[in-house]
Amino acid sequence: MPRIQIGSWASDAVDWLTNNAAWLFDFVTHVLNGFYTGIHAVLAGPEPLILAGIFAIIAWWLRGLPAAVLTFLGFALIDSIEQWDETISSLSLVLVACIITIVVAVPLGIWAARSRAVGGALRPVLDLMQTMPAMVYLIPGILFFGLGVVPGIVSTIVFSMPPAVRMTELGIRQVDEELVEAAEAFGTHPRRTLFRVQLPLALPTIMAGVNQVIMLALSMVVIAGTAGGGGLGGSVYQSLSSVDVKLGAEAGLSVVILAVYLDRMTGALNQRVSPLGRRALAKAQAALGGMKFLRWKPATSLATVGVVVLALVAGGMGYFGKDSGGAAAGNDGHGRSISLGYVNWDEGRATTFLWKEILEQRGFKPKVQALEAGPLFAGQARGDIDVQSNAWLPTTHEAYWKQYKDKLEDLGAWYDKTSLEIAVPSYMKDFKSLEDLKGKGSTFGGKIIGIEPGAGEMKILKDKVLKEYGLSGEYKVQDSTTASMLAELQRAYAKKKPIAVPLWSPHWAYNKYDLTKLKDPKGAFGSGDSLHMLGRKGFSKDEPLVAGWMKNFHLDEDQLTSLENEIQTAGIGHEQEGVRAWLKKNPGLVDKIAPSSHADYAKGKDAGKAPDIGFPAWDEGIATTYLWKNVLEKRGYKPKLHNLDVGPMWTGLSTGQIDVETDGWLPVAQKQYWDKYKKDLVDVGPWYDKTSLEIAVPSYVKDVKTLDDLRKHKDEFGGKIIGIEPGTGEMKRLKSTVAPAYGLDGFQVTSAGTSGMLAELQRAYGKKEPIAVVLWSPHWAYSKYDLTKLKDPKGTWGAENHITSIGNKSFPKEFPEFHGWLKNWKMTPDELNSLEKDIQDAGKGNEDKGVQKWIDAHPGIVDKMAPVK
Amino acid sequence: MVFGRRPKDAVRRLQEGADRDELRAEGTTAAVIDASIEVDEGQIFVVMGLSGSGKSTLLRTLNGLLEPTAGTVRFDGEDLTSLSAKDLRKVRSEKISMVFQHFALFPHRSVLENAAYGLEVQGVPRAEREKRAYEALELTGLKGWEKSWPDELSGGMQQRVGLARALATDADLLLMDESFSALDPLIRRDMQDQLLELQKTLKKTIVFITHDLNEAMRLGDKIAVMRDGRIVQIGSAEDILVRPANDYVASFTQDVDRTRVLTAGAIMTCADEVLGTTAPDGKKIATLDDFLAAAPAVVGEDTPIVDLFTPCSVSTVPVAVADKAGKAVGAVRADRLLAALGEDDGGPAAPAPRPATDPAPADRLTKAAAADAKKDAEAPEDNDPEGKVSAGA
Repeated sequence: MPRIQIGSWASDAVDWLTNNAAWLFDFVTHVLNGFYTGIHAVLAGPEPLILAGIFAIIAWWLRGLPAAVLTFLGFALIDSIEQWDETISSLSLVLVACIITIVVAVPLGIWAARSRAVGGALRPVLDLMQTMPAMVYLIPGILFFGLGVVPGIVSTIVFSMPPAVRMTELGIRQVDEELVEAAEAFGTHPRRTLFRVQLPLALPTIMAGVNQVIMLALSMVVIAGTAGGGGLGGSVYQSLSSVDVKLGAEAGLSVVILAVYLDRMTGALNQRVSPLGRRALAKAQAALGGMKFLRWKPATSLATVGVVVLALVAGGMGYFGKDSGGAAAGNDGHGRSISLGYVNWDEGRATTFLWKEILEQRGFKPKVQALEAGPLFAGQARGDIDVQSNAWLPTTHEAYWKQYKDKLEDLGAWYDKTSLEIAVPSYMKDFKSLEDLKGKGSTFGGKIIGIEPGAGEMKILKDKVLKEYGLSGEYKVQDSTTASMLAELQRAYAKKKPIAVPLWSPHWAYNKYDLTKLKDPKGAFGSGDSLHMLGRKGFSKDEPLVAGWMKNFHLDEDQLTSLENEIQTAGIGHEQEGVRAWLKKNPGLVDKIAPSSHADYAKGKDAGKAPDIGFPAWDEGIATTYLWKNVLEKRGYKPKLHNLDVGPMWTGLSTGQIDVETDGWLPVAQKQYWDKYKKDLVDVGPWYDKTSLEIAVPSYVKDVKTLDDLRKHKDEFGGKIIGIEPGTGEMKRLKSTVAPAYGLDGFQVTSAGTSGMLAELQRAYGKKEPIAVVLWSPHWAYSKYDLTKLKDPKGTWGAENHITSIGNKSFPKEFPEFHGWLKNWKMTPDELNSLEKDIQDAGKGNEDKGVQKWIDAHPGIVDKMAPVK
Repeated sequence: MVFGRRPKDAVRRLQEGADRDELRAEGTTAAVIDASIEVDEGQIFVVMGLSGSGKSTLLRTLNGLLEPTAGTVRFDGEDLTSLSAKDLRKVRSEKISMVFQHFALFPHRSVLENAAYGLEVQGVPRAEREKRAYEALELTGLKGWEKSWPDELSGGMQQRVGLARALATDADLLLMDESFSALDPLIRRDMQDQLLELQKTLKKTIVFITHDLNEAMRLGDKIAVMRDGRIVQIGSAEDILVRPANDYVASFTQDVDRTRVLTAGAIMTCADEVLGTTAPDGKKIATLDDFLAAAPAVVGEDTPIVDLFTPCSVSTVPVAVADKAGKAVGAVRADRLLAALGEDDGGPAAPAPRPATDPAPADRLTKAAAADAKKDAEAPEDNDPEGKVSAGA
């Protein structure tokens, strides 16, 4: 039997659609989102109790006083258990889905009833829609429509459409043919027959279909919750994934209240809108006596008045009660929204809400969403989620990472103390290590309750761990879900029954239950995952500042545990309060994690002063000078930069025209200037000491490692050493000391300047020609090319230089604060190289941009360089 | 009228002599074949047949609910088969109305609204259509029930609503599709009586479908008997009863209460036969006047024979049959009376043709002629005068 590749065809089709029909999906998304937002805005506007009152009046109108009272109580209860917002979201979603479903399904049903061909063609499609498991099209739905309510709405429509079409078709077919014939016999136009005879008579059946639609839609809400549909589905999903019985019960109860209300109301709607229903109702009421007031229902007009009055009250309250909104908290974000997604595990929730708080403080508008790993990755690959905070890599989420890594950016690991393990309750005293499991299969019923079959841990467990510990035949790993595994664990734990489950740390289960992590002496589980922040593709380009913060973000075990605890204490729905409490105990942490790029830079004491800063056109000079320019500006200074040749600069420094420069190479390279002007100058202090002067050759020139080697291979280099500016200390030193010591006198040392040297280096490097250049460290050329610094065993280049800031002697008095900063300032080779490279990348004239990028990527650097109190 | 795939082919095959069963084997149903009927104005024309005989189909071709595969329907000078859908609807709403077997009342409308339905379709303003609906309901004896709902009425009353709905539009032609079949016998009789009563004053042209020969005989001025889609006989009640066209019709008439259908005029012999006989009291009967004097009873030609038994049993002189002027036109002897009951072929002598009781030729005739497939081509060239229409199925 040949393999029929239905799966890959479907996958190809989805890919093709994703790539080629994006405009269509975007359009649909836009429309549905707008529709949803509109309805949601209307429903979420009023005070909960007023809306409950409106619902109650509708119930009174449709079903009488007892229903109205129960409705009000039910919705008040929802408000009381803090599920109101979720309920309204779900209600909006259900309404949008149902309205669309009905608008599409009823005409479709009518068409099917009138044409056998249409009915026949529709039937298999409807069957497919009804029976295909919703999860199957939810993921493509995310690819098409992105995360959020839209795939939820679409899935709901798909799922709830069939009964509406079928019931409409059935209802119309059920209408006595003789009645239709009678209408025809009296010369009724077919359209009129449809609207005046068939539809009114089919209405009870159609309304039964509508009722079904609403019920199915409500049942889909939970599934939509896993795709970021939010609402009660989100609550239910959250409770499932954390075995939170409390939340589950509350969210579930809210679903039930909503469902019963919608069910009873649509059921009763039939009695109001359909003539037959009205007839039946009148009959039933005539048959009953006593307690009439219970069954008294306001007339439609009266009910409308009631609803309008309450709506006006709600509107008025909304208008007058509108709070003015908090003042803008920060200004890095300027209200830009960043969506954070997380798998609903404790560490994910903790970091995500931490970041939510941080970003809000920095003026962003972050949104957080808990999702299943699948939808989360798919949604992020599509760009709906900017950052997810708890990707377990490289193992646990390996499958997703592999699939989507082209569309994601790794913002780095922020926590690495994780481990994968098998855990057993600690009341099972004999089990301390995986080895103890052997031969005890019967204790556990030969079972290990697993998690999702696609999870990396399951793969390791099945492929490696069982084998290495010889447990393969004895234990069967049962595929399950994380939620089911945890529920199973809870059940067994309560009864003190043996159970073994794959688990990972950090996990809240370790706090809740007393569990033993089985030791893994053979290391079969491998080293643990790290927790990574993942950005969508292009995130660090769009939000370099945030990406920079995240790249440097790190939590240690204590921090994470205490944060999780605070959040746990604050309770579900109040995560952010927990975060705030935690931050209060960790002052300054926000600034450390997310040093703001501008806004909240405190002014320096000498703010407003305008130091004249000189710099030579050397890379480290440009880099550090522009760096300081930016730092000083943030502190309120108005620095003026002067690009000068070395000689004039030193002269300027001595006369006070230049207040300070950062690129003094001492004690060797610029000795002559220092010696000449030192009485008018101060050495503010070195900031870099890993310098060296050297001659470098590309490392593809294999045999040349030392200056001696260079001499031996003189011909290969055409007898030339490419030099820099002739007046510099290094050139002088080369000629006066180095060349004679190694017999390099025969070499011709060109002196075309630094840029000429670098151009020549690049040209030769591209052609793999041998070349020897005068170079120094630090230099970005070392990060760009693979070069060998030729050894100087005789030490002829002299003592190594440090780079220091040189100021006019009045500088410390005139700019005491700046002087203090410069004095304490240090740079590492990595910092300097990356700064030079960022400036190089930004291009000439855009130095400030390169610097800003580097500052963004080095959060806290401003405070470090220029601390203010 | 052919249902099924490729009806035109079936018509051709019928023309070539194929029969209905052959077609059925091929999956096509010839519902009505070769049916030509002509209904005169003011007449109750009954189409009778068992289920499946095609009578309902025939009825629905008359108002265009079904379009004949071949042939034409002419109504009031118009060929209904050639009308556009819109014009056809207009004809249906204004000139032809229909009463259904199961009443077909709209359950979501009150009795009044049901009765006014046809007028509503015509676009008559509410006030006027309610007035006319009130009148129609009053006519059918439902005064006071206007605000009720159909499901609150008994079957008979529901059908009165159906009748009122049909009458309210003031249509000329009333199509009644087994309208009384769903009613129990007593109610059915009532309704029949009421229909006849109404017909006396309204003089509608009615085509009435039934499977009940008694009903056909009671109501029908003219009866068409259908079998297997073909009309096997058209004639008056007596014609059917006394001169059945074939065994099928004869067997059909077996259970009919002949004494109520047959009239004195149908079985009487010539009055001259009595002349020369002697009355029980010894008097000679020499003249027709003697006969009238001696006869145990003098009845009109329309008198059902059920009324003749008592007089016959008290005298040897036949019952005299007189015309409207009181002149003896025939005699009914006891033996003949008995012979008439034994349905065979009506006794020794063919009864004299029944004098025409129909009104003078109508200035406007409703004639539905269902030409069979074979005659299809001729139908349009029918020499019927203007005002007649032929229909083919």
